[in-house]
Amino acid sequence: MMRLVIALLFGVSLASQTDPAQTYTPAQIQAGQPIFTSRCGFCHGRDAAGGESGPDLTRSALVIDDVRGDKLIPVIRDGRVDKGMPAFGLPYNDLIAIVAFIHDQQKKSELPGRRRSVDTTDVQTGNAEAGKIYFNGAGGCARCHRPDGDLAGIATKLQGLSLLQRMLDPRGGGRGGERPHPATVTVTLQTGQTTTGRLAYRDEFTIALTEASGWYRSWPINQVTFTVNNPLDAHTEQLAKYTDEDMHDVLAYLQTLR
Amino acid sequence: MFWPTCRRCAEAAVLVLALASRPGAQGLDSPALLNPSSDTWPTYHGDYSGRRHSRLTQITPANVSQLTLAWAFQTGQSTQIKATPILVNGIVFLSTPDYMWAIDARSARQLWQYKYRDNTGFHIGHRGVAVYKDFVYLTTPDAHLVALDAKNGKVRWDVEIADSKKGYWSTNAPLLVRNHLLVGVAGDFDNLPGMLKSIDPDTGETQWIFYSTPPPGTPGSPSGGATGGQMWMTGTYDPELNLVYVGTGNPTPVLNGDARPGDNPWTCSIVAIHPDTGKLEWGFQATPHDTHDWDAAEVPVLVDAAFDGVPRKMLMQASRNGYFFVLDRANGTSLKTFPFATVNWAKGIDKAGRPIPNPDKEPARDGRLVAPNEGGGTNYRSPSFDPATGLFIVSAQDSYGIYFFKPEHGSYGWAGADYGVSGKGVLRAIEYQTGAVRWRHDLGDGASGAGVLTTASGLVFTGDSSGNVLALRTSDGSTLWHSGIGRVGNSPITYELDGRQYVVVGGGGVLYSFALPETKP
Repeated sequence: MMRLVIALLFGVSLASQTDPAQTYTPAQIQAGQPIFTSRCGFCHGRDAAGGESGPDLTRSALVIDDVRGDKLIPVIRDGRVDKGMPAFGLPYNDLIAIVAFIHDQQKKSELPGRRRSVDTTDVQTGNAEAGKIYFNGAGGCARCHRPDGDLAGIATKLQGLSLLQRMLDPRGGGRGGERPHPATVTVTLQTGQTTTGRLAYRDEFTIALTEASGWYRSWPINQVTFTVNNPLDAHTEQLAKYTDEDMHDVLAYLQTLR
Repeated sequence: MFWPTCRRCAEAAVLVLALASRPGAQGLDSPALLNPSSDTWPTYHGDYSGRRHSRLTQITPANVSQLTLAWAFQTGQSTQIKATPILVNGIVFLSTPDYMWAIDARSARQLWQYKYRDNTGFHIGHRGVAVYKDFVYLTTPDAHLVALDAKNGKVRWDVEIADSKKGYWSTNAPLLVRNHLLVGVAGDFDNLPGMLKSIDPDTGETQWIFYSTPPPGTPGSPSGGATGGQMWMTGTYDPELNLVYVGTGNPTPVLNGDARPGDNPWTCSIVAIHPDTGKLEWGFQATPHDTHDWDAAEVPVLVDAAFDGVPRKMLMQASRNGYFFVLDRANGTSLKTFPFATVNWAKGIDKAGRPIPNPDKEPARDGRLVAPNEGGGTNYRSPSFDPATGLFIVSAQDSYGIYFFKPEHGSYGWAGADYGVSGKGVLRAIEYQTGAVRWRHDLGDGASGAGVLTTASGLVFTGDSSGNVLALRTSDGSTLWHSGIGRVGNSPITYELDGRQYVVVGGGGVLYSFALPETKP
């Protein structure tokens, strides 16, 4: 509490501190457990270490960055509907109890003997030389990536499972590093005028982009023509081409880029 | 539709006629399920066949573009509606975990609401209720079955189906067959035997229990040490053969296959059960020795049609493992097996029509890239069979996941780790005799949660993964109408009241009813 008061007095972000106040009372943790189980447990596991479809929260960057719910509560309350996580319109006391339980589980997960962990060494079965050949040859990775360019030092930012997940789908899971920029789209109106920006939304009926100014604009798909440029499509297409050996070889090669 | 030829069914037909001639409102008797009238949707699939096909034709490809909102019912919850609404006597019964509403099907006016007691079972969704006589039944997250008075929502009785403290829960929409209410449970995070219970719908007493994997203490485990195989989805029923068909879930431990050698029957299977005794007639395994959480719980759709020119009583399932199965439902023999979504985990198909798992695609310490992901080639969302075109229409997903297992993960519950990599939703119209896809309709990134409804006028209703409800032309899959109502999480239904056809579908936590504009007299 004192830490919180000091932080507020001096306008210091708690998140920026090296040892954020992450202590919760046993009562809060105890209150959070049944709520977590009933609302979150199916997807994230009763122990928050991953269940059916939901990620392991004890390894989640969001949980690690969170301070007393500043990151977690908005996500729980509003959901991540586009990623399949529903919104939970729960009272604040329930939300903070869930946060307390998750942080407690995260702390416990650092103890030895965790059940469902994937260690960095687990995924290091590939051959870096073979991976380099695949990267520059059959994999086609070198068409977009350079080991001394965008991938320089990638292995210092991402390791193990995180690096593997990001290699397979750069938009996907894993901790640390930067997410790549999303796709771009050029929309041509019936007047012939064109607008280009980041692809913001696309379904069967609507195309939308974010302009350089930051404004969102959308059009009915049947009234414009458009071209989407999504370099990440190559990653999706590659999934059907990888053997498990290729996958581990490329990962081994990326792990040499320090 | 099944024609009543057996003695029991003939009696049932007489009862249906008797019911039809009674004035005023009445409860639902089980014989009414044999040939549901078009002003009802009296059971999860609409009828016993699981085809989710309606004979209604007021809304057509020519006029569907005029479809407009008839009403919307606000649950007042952020919980997504995953339940199929059940309609009897002009009243819609809608459920989410712990909750049930009775709603006027003409106006969306709430008649009553029921709230179950707070509990710690998994609140992941609810599939729907069942109705029998004046009772309406709700399964609960802590694996109870509650019987309510359908007229006012008062509790008549409340029985435990399974022990939630052991890890069971229920989302199940029970299936009524005569005086048997078949109730399933779930429980993937603990090593629990797979269990389907038959409950007396009048008293709540247990009539029989079918175990897909042996209960504790069974000598000489026929499942190879596996537990699991939960029957959490609503089955289908053939009154002529007097067999109930249910899909069973994955084995436990889930990703650790070493702990349970062999095929692990009857997990990831379709089982045919006698509704009066709970005895197994036959079983067919969609995935022998599953290690990827691919429940074969998807709807076993019953179709009477020709296969290779011979009239057949068939069972079709688009299964979570990405394969499509056509079986002879009298004896469970395979007629055809083919993939309907991206798959890379099988070496081939065996003589019995089962995919042969490739051991190299089992979860491993360094991770294996497997198609489909854990969510599967499809899942609980209902498919539909359109008899006029012979098309089986399923909301599929082409996806990959990475699967891990090492001995340190143990042999209890999940016992491994897996991560989805990418997925695309696509509706496929499948020719069941060849596996050919007559048309496909992209649904967006990730699987759609929406099931499929077809109507005799040649329409398909479903939802995409962005939040649109769609009406498509059955013959070619082209879009004829849509509305951005939020993510559809249930399977649409349709019915006709006062000469007006309604299509009812959930978007987020709101239930929407669409119809053609009212004509002025």
